[in-house]
This record gives sequence, structure tokens and C-alpha cells, in this order.
Amino acid sequence: MADLNALKEAVIKGDRAGATKLTKELLAAGTPPKAVLDEGLVAGMAVVGARFKKNEVFVPEVLIAARAMKEAMTILEPVLVKAGIKPAHTAIIGTVQGDLHDIGKNLVAMMWKGANFGVVDLGTNVSPQRFVDAAQEHKASIVGLSSLLTTTMPAMKQAVVALRAANVTSKILIGGAPVTQAFAQEIGADGYAPDAASAVDVAKKLVTT
Amino acid sequence: MDRQYYLDLAAQGLRMPIGTDLVLHERADAQQTVVDGRRLGQVVVESARRYRTPLAMPLMDLAIEKAWLLSILGVPAEQHETYQFATPPEIDMRKLDAALASTGTPRLTATVEAVRLVARETELLPVGMSIGPFSLTTKMMLDPITPVFLAGSGLTAADEPEVALFTTQLAISEKVIHASLRRQIEAGARMIVVCEPAANTTFISPNQMADGSDVFERFIIEPNRRLRKLLNEHGVDLFLHDCGELTDEMLRRLVMLDPAVLSLGASRTLWLDAAIVPKTTVLYGNLPTKRFYSDELTPVGLIEKMTRELIGRMREVRHPFILGSECDVLSVTGAHDAISRKVRAMLDCPAS
Repeated sequence: MADLNALKEAVIKGDRAGATKLTKELLAAGTPPKAVLDEGLVAGMAVVGARFKKNEVFVPEVLIAARAMKEAMTILEPVLVKAGIKPAHTAIIGTVQGDLHDIGKNLVAMMWKGANFGVVDLGTNVSPQRFVDAAQEHKASIVGLSSLLTTTMPAMKQAVVALRAANVTSKILIGGAPVTQAFAQEIGADGYAPDAASAVDVAKKLVTT
Repeated sequence: MDRQYYLDLAAQGLRMPIGTDLVLHERADAQQTVVDGRRLGQVVVESARRYRTPLAMPLMDLAIEKAWLLSILGVPAEQHETYQFATPPEIDMRKLDAALASTGTPRLTATVEAVRLVARETELLPVGMSIGPFSLTTKMMLDPITPVFLAGSGLTAADEPEVALFTTQLAISEKVIHASLRRQIEAGARMIVVCEPAANTTFISPNQMADGSDVFERFIIEPNRRLRKLLNEHGVDLFLHDCGELTDEMLRRLVMLDPAVLSLGASRTLWLDAAIVPKTTVLYGNLPTKRFYSDELTPVGLIEKMTRELIGRMREVRHPFILGSECDVLSVTGAHDAISRKVRAMLDCPAS
């Protein structure tokens, strides 16, 4: 019989078919959907995130694990919705205007989903106003701004300014190759994450303060 | 060309950034310049003069070949930057060859004509530039990482549509790049900068490589080996640039391409890499120019200190070395002067 630990292992291994099959079996056996999510899928992604932080696994392994979780979520999500179970926090994420790079942003989005944040991914080249509109529409707890290029860092500041000017109360988290904690402070962001795994920890901390 | 030329430049203590973008953005007509071969060539020459290098380094524009392919496929220009394939493009390879022989884009043409201007009108070494096949392929796809990982797990194009898409796209990328390089070589390029920044630990799992996967060899080294052959046939040298995060094993494989110059990102420690890189290859780099925008992160004094340390350490290990930037030095709005000051510091500060 399927158990939650097997589901967790399937996510860690990036076994898409296995994760989907086990999710179906667990639900059919009457396992509470919240347990399938928290003790199976999220627990698996947490292990992957911790290993990523320690350089034991790399971006490809994280993506493959996230893909397995995503596939399993297509089975689990309708059940969660039916049971009225929603993520406690919603996060908006996007790469700032002028920047088309999305790997870092995608990785953070996956890690956040893996940590059971509701994630709205705005894509790349996102204008300040789109961040504002999305944060207001989804009542976001967190807005994540990503930038790979030094040339687009000023756009990050413009997004922060626009969010503050619109009185958006979401916490603003920034990340990307050229940015730093000092830059986050300089532009008035609430937090900075040096990598995708840390982005989970920082986001969790920000939403509880 | 005689490889000794680059070894001599290194021995003479050449320092230079890849800084054409900085000079370009001092001009009010920067946007027009990138599609005007004559003006672009003048910027390339001015950059070489300002940075006191005989190498006429072009703009590191990694979008040229992608835009060219997409224009051939009829994708509107305004979609070129963001366009990505979810399924293999329906294209006859022979028709692609014909289109590559007969078409161009304004930026490609300007790049080629800039090389020609340098070759015809100056004593500088004309240098061409292209994105590498693997990196171009990653720019063409919505998710390039998963298929590479799946291929690294032993799945083939027949097993997995995503692997098939990547493999097809890689073959197309290679064709477009070869066509771009042929034009630049015909215009007089004597050295080509091939940029493979995606050859790194984000796209290729070091764990898979350690487990014996040949995916780095298949997807990165083999296409670049064919590119290297093209350069060899025309007596053109390879300046290989990879500013991505690399493992030592990845570096060992890259040096098998035998570049005349190897440019690495700031994540590498060049004096340690000297043990991996043959002394016939000049190491280039790798000051953290992506952070030059911030006086807090990289004050001038720190850049001078890093310059002295890098030069000193490379002398200790006796490896041919040209001090330079970790990547092209991009002009950042509002920080142009700060960046230029640090470029000046890396060029002018005493070596000891």
C-alpha cells in the first residue's frame, strides 16, 4: 500500500509517474489531502531544497523534483479545492521590466510552490504597474522581483517604488545574480535571497513578521 | 593564426575589458549604431583604442543568431526576444541552408560590416562573436533544463519528446551559428569569441556527470568541436567565453576545445584553474565587473587590490594571462561613470 514516505521519495527522485500514481493511491485509500500535500509532496521538496542549499543537488534535480510535484498536484489540487484547503499565503513573482531571464525566477516560483505558497507567476519583462495590479488583485503576502542583468536593476527599484506608492502591503523580496542585501536596503525592499532555496526561508520569515 | 601572438600579449601584461557596450552607450545614437556597420565598427575601434588593446572586441550581442533564425521562420521582430519553441519548428534543413545563405538581419549585417571595417581600415585584430550552439538552444526553449537532464539520464529523442525538441533545436542552432561565423570570417575576423555561458551547473547536473553521463560531451563539446573545426579550416582562433558556474570537470572538458584564449566568470579562481588549463591557452578574466555598478560592493580600492592579487597570483603559477572582465561590461543607467572609473582602475593601477 502507498505511504506518504514513498510519495516524498518519489518527489525527491523526480519520479513524475511514481508521484502521480502514489498520490492517486493515497487519496483512494482515504489519506487526508492535506497530509498528502504536507507530508508527501511538500516534505519531498523541502528535502530537495535543503540538498540544493548544501550543493548536494543542482538546478536540474530541483526542476525534475518540482515537475514530479506539479504532476501530482494535478490530481491533488481539485481535492484540496473541494475540501476548502488553500495555501496560507499567495506570492507574486516576476522578472523586472527589460529583463527576459527566467531560470532563477522559475526556480524560486517552484520552490515557493513546493513550500505550499500559492504562486502567481507574471513571467519576464514585467512592468512596475503589473506587479502592483497583481499584488492588489491576489492580495499577495509576498512580491518577488527577479533580475539577472545589472542593466535592469534600476527597473527593480522602479517596481519597489510603484508598489510602495500604491500602498501595497505585500512584503517585497528581491533576488538575482547582481543584487545584494545592500541593494535591497538601498531600494527599500523587505528582503533579499541569494538563491532559490533561501528564498523559501526568507519568504516564510517575512510573512510571519 | 600563430598562437604565439596571444601568448606574447599575455607576456606583455595586456589588460583589457570586454567593454564595447560601455563606449556604445556614451553615444546618443546607440540604438541606430548597432544596425549601422560603419558606426558600429567605429565604436569597436574606439573601444580598442581607449582600452589600449590590439584586439578589436565586438559587442557581446547574444541575440543576433536567434533573431536571424526567427526572422527566417517568419516570427515578427517584436516577438524575437521572448519567442520560444514548445515543439520542434517545422523547417526543412535544406531550405534553412538556402535561407541562411541569402538572408540577414540589420544587426547581423552591421556586426559583419563592423568586422570588415576593422579588417580593412585598422591594424587591429578583427574579432568576431557568436553565441555558442548549446547556449543558443537554451534561449530557444521554454524549458531547456528538463530535456538536458532527461537526456543525461539516458533517455533518447525517441523516448521523450522534450529530448527530441532539444536535439532538433541544437542542430538548427549549430547551422545558424556556422552561417553567422562564415560571414564574419569572410569579412576578415581572425579570432571569434564563442560565448557558451549556459554550459554550467544550472543546465548540466554535476551529479549526472559524476555518474558517467556523456550529456556535457554530446550537447556542448561535440557541437563546439565542429565549430572549432570550421575556425581551424579558415585559420581563425577561438576565444571561448563561459561566465557560468563550472565544476572542475566541466572546465577540463572545455579546455579540450583548445581555445587560444579562455575567458571564465568571477566564480572561478584563475590561479587554481591554471593547473587544469594548458599553458598554450591564455586565461582571460575575471574581475567581478557585473558588480562594478556599486561603489559599496566594489570600491575602486578593492578593484585595484583584486587586480594586483590576480596579476601576482597568475605570475606565481606562470600561466599566460590577460587581466580582464568576467563578462562584457554593460553600461548601467545611472552607474555608467562608476563602472568606467573601475574599468580605468583595473587598466591603470600598478601591478604590484
